[in-house]
Parts: sequence; C-alpha cells; structure tokens
Amino acid sequence: MVNLRRYTLVRNLVLLWVTGVILAAFLLDIPRINILEHTARNLYFHVPMWFTMMAAVFVSAYHSFQVLRSDDLVRDIRALQAARVGAFFGILGLVTGIVWSKYTWYVGTDVWWNFDPRQSMVSLQLLIYGAYFVLRGALDDPSKRARIAAVYNLFAATTTPFLLYVIPRQMDSLHPGAEGNPAFSEITHPVMRLVFYPAIIGFIGLFWVLYTQRVRTALLKLRTTHDPEL
Amino acid sequence: MEFFRGSWAVLKKDLRLEWRSRYALNMLLMFVLSSLLLIAFAIGQETVGQRMQSALLWIVILFSASIGLGRSFVAEEERGTVLLLQLNVPGSQVFTGKLIFNFLLLLAVDAVSLVVFAVLLNMVIEDWGLLVLALGLGSLGLAGATTLLAAIIARASNKGPLLPVLLFPLLIPLLLSVVRASRAALDGGLGFTGATGDLQTIALFGGVVITAAVLLFDYVWMD
Repeated sequence: MVNLRRYTLVRNLVLLWVTGVILAAFLLDIPRINILEHTARNLYFHVPMWFTMMAAVFVSAYHSFQVLRSDDLVRDIRALQAARVGAFFGILGLVTGIVWSKYTWYVGTDVWWNFDPRQSMVSLQLLIYGAYFVLRGALDDPSKRARIAAVYNLFAATTTPFLLYVIPRQMDSLHPGAEGNPAFSEITHPVMRLVFYPAIIGFIGLFWVLYTQRVRTALLKLRTTHDPEL
Repeated sequence: MEFFRGSWAVLKKDLRLEWRSRYALNMLLMFVLSSLLLIAFAIGQETVGQRMQSALLWIVILFSASIGLGRSFVAEEERGTVLLLQLNVPGSQVFTGKLIFNFLLLLAVDAVSLVVFAVLLNMVIEDWGLLVLALGLGSLGLAGATTLLAAIIARASNKGPLLPVLLFPLLIPLLLSVVRASRAALDGGLGFTGATGDLQTIALFGGVVITAAVLLFDYVWMD
C-alpha cells in the first residue's frame, strides 16, 4: 500500500509547484512579438496540456498491457482513469490551441478548424477514448470488461503512430519543430523557457495528482461494493 | 501445415454457410447499391472532382464493412457454436479463417462498388493496376481491423451500432492514404511513383493491424 503521509507531501508539493507556475505565467514580463503580444503566455498552458495527454496515453496503454498479463482489476481501473484524465487534458489542449490559433496564425481568415496535423491527432485520440468509454459501457462482467477494453486500447495504440507519418503529408504544420519550421528552442526567448519547462513538469504532476486521486476513489468504491462487511 | 488446415476448415465452413443463405453477401451488395444510388441522386448532374470521387468510394466501402462484417462472430454466438470452435481450433486459426472470409467479402464489395460508381458518376480511371492494388491492400487492413473488432462486439451486451463507433477512429490513417492512392490512380499522371509512399503506408498498416490483431485475439476469444 501507499505511504499516505509521503503521498500527501508529494501531492502538496505538486500543487504548490503548479500554483507557482501559474503565477509566474501571468506575472512575469515577456517579450512582445507582433500579433502574438500577450497571447504568447498561452504557451505555458497549451503546450504542456499536449505533453500531459501524451504521458496519460502512455500510462493508460501500459496498464492495459498489464491487464492482459495479470487479469488484475486494479490495473483496469488505472488504465481507465489515466484515459479519462488524459482525455480531459486533451480537450483543454485542443480548445486552448483552437482559440489561440484563430486569433494569431489564422487571424483574418475567420476559420476555426484548420486541419493542422497536431490538431487532427489530438482529436483522433479523443475519438478513440470516446469509443473506449462507449465500449466499456457495453460490457457488464468486470473481468471481461477489463480484458476486452484493454484489447481495444492496445489495438488503437498500434494504429495511431501511423498518423505521425500520414497526416503531416496531408497538410503542413505551423507548429515549431515541424518539418521546415525552426525548432522550439530557437524562437523562444530564454525568459519564456524559464517558465515553460517547469510548466510541463507541473502539469504532468497535476495529471499524476488527479489520476491517483481518481484511482483511490475508484478502489474505495470497488471495495465497498464487493466487501459485505463494509 | 496444421495452421493452414485449421484456418482452411474455418474458412470452408463460413463459405459453405454463406453459400447456403447468401445473407451477408446479399446484404452487403444491397447496402452498397443503395448507398451508391443515394449518392448519385444526391449529387445529380454535378461533376465531382477526382478527390471527391475516391473519398466517396471509400466512405461507401468503410460503411458497408462496418455494417456487413460485424456479423462474423455475432452469428457464431447466436448459433451457439462458439464453444465448439473454441474446443476444436486454436484461436489464431479461427481468426485467420474469419479474416480471409471477410477479406473475400470486401473484395466483392470493392468490385461491385467500383463498377457501379464508375457508371453512375462517369468516373474515368487512368491507372487500373494502381487502383486495384490500392483497393486490395486497403481492404486487407480494413478486414484485419474489422475482424478483431467483430470479435470484441460479439462479447458486448449491446451489439447494434457499436462496430462503426469502434472502427472509424482506428481507420482514419488508412482512409487518408487509401483515398490519396485512389485519387492518384484516377488521375494516372504520375503512375505508381506518385503513390509509392501511400501504398507503402497502406501495406504497412495492414501488416501491423493484422499482427496486432492475431496477438490480441486470444484475449477476446477465450473466456
């Protein structure tokens, strides 16, 4: 079992860290660039959301793999909760990206959706998680549900890497680091990088807090429904 | 050799059952015909560009696959023959037999939809070889994904419209490359060189999907 005191300590540290990052994101002075202006602060939120979702996808797929190896229902709970929190961060990343790009990259075009490769990839991953949740709802027996949902999660994880190859040839990306575009570190001011890297750590930490909290609640729920003495 | 005998036995059983009722085939063909007619009526006399033609062709194929191929394992469940299959044939052989059967059905769908589409929309096909290759390879990946998901929905309590929901997100990489390869075939300007990248992606997608499906199938199939 987890050491509860250590868990609380780490959780409080993470929350403190995220608070610091958010304060720094709004208060620190940043270099003004034409068109971008103060919206550049969105960098501290939008990009870490995308990183966090990737981390969540890996955690979910890993636990799905473990479900198939051990038939452990706790692993199933972990895979589900990682997917849920990951989907939440994916939606946040998508929304912050759409709003940000509408008023900067695509200013004057009056278009919301631009089929940017990364945008398409996040929306696809969200679609897959949507199907995953629907599938779980259609299965009644817990151990059967754990196994079959894990199969779907892993099967989906084998097809998504193709997007990395297929979609960029469909349309060019405006994101830094995409082919032909300057790398992120070349165009971002050192002051901004000072907040940006801690923000990635902070939001992944926030994912960890939300995820472990949900797992603990789900475990308690499982125990109360299965243990007749409680 | 054992492997091929088992797969062949499953395939032969499915083919024989299909030959007796012709249910899946008739349903698929009727679905293809009616959806193609719907498209033709909806478009009317408007000329449709090549990109649009190949997109519509593939959307019809995807929808008919998601509707017609979902039955392969549900039918076993309804007939009560699942246990018999589980006892007599190893899972990978059941999967291979079903996969080949679904692939054959899809080839029939491809052939019919291609001919009807070409007539209805006045489609001009410059490079037949490339188009047939794109359709064949694409159908292989499609059959691989559909067969595993059909086994999944056979386990679910609410089977109805579940297959399309599960299938479409997985097929978007395939759809993108296959539509572009078909478009290159309709255009014919660059021939095979224009579509090599897409054909490679389609073949690789089929290979990866079928490998993953064979590895994962036992977890769905066995209780």
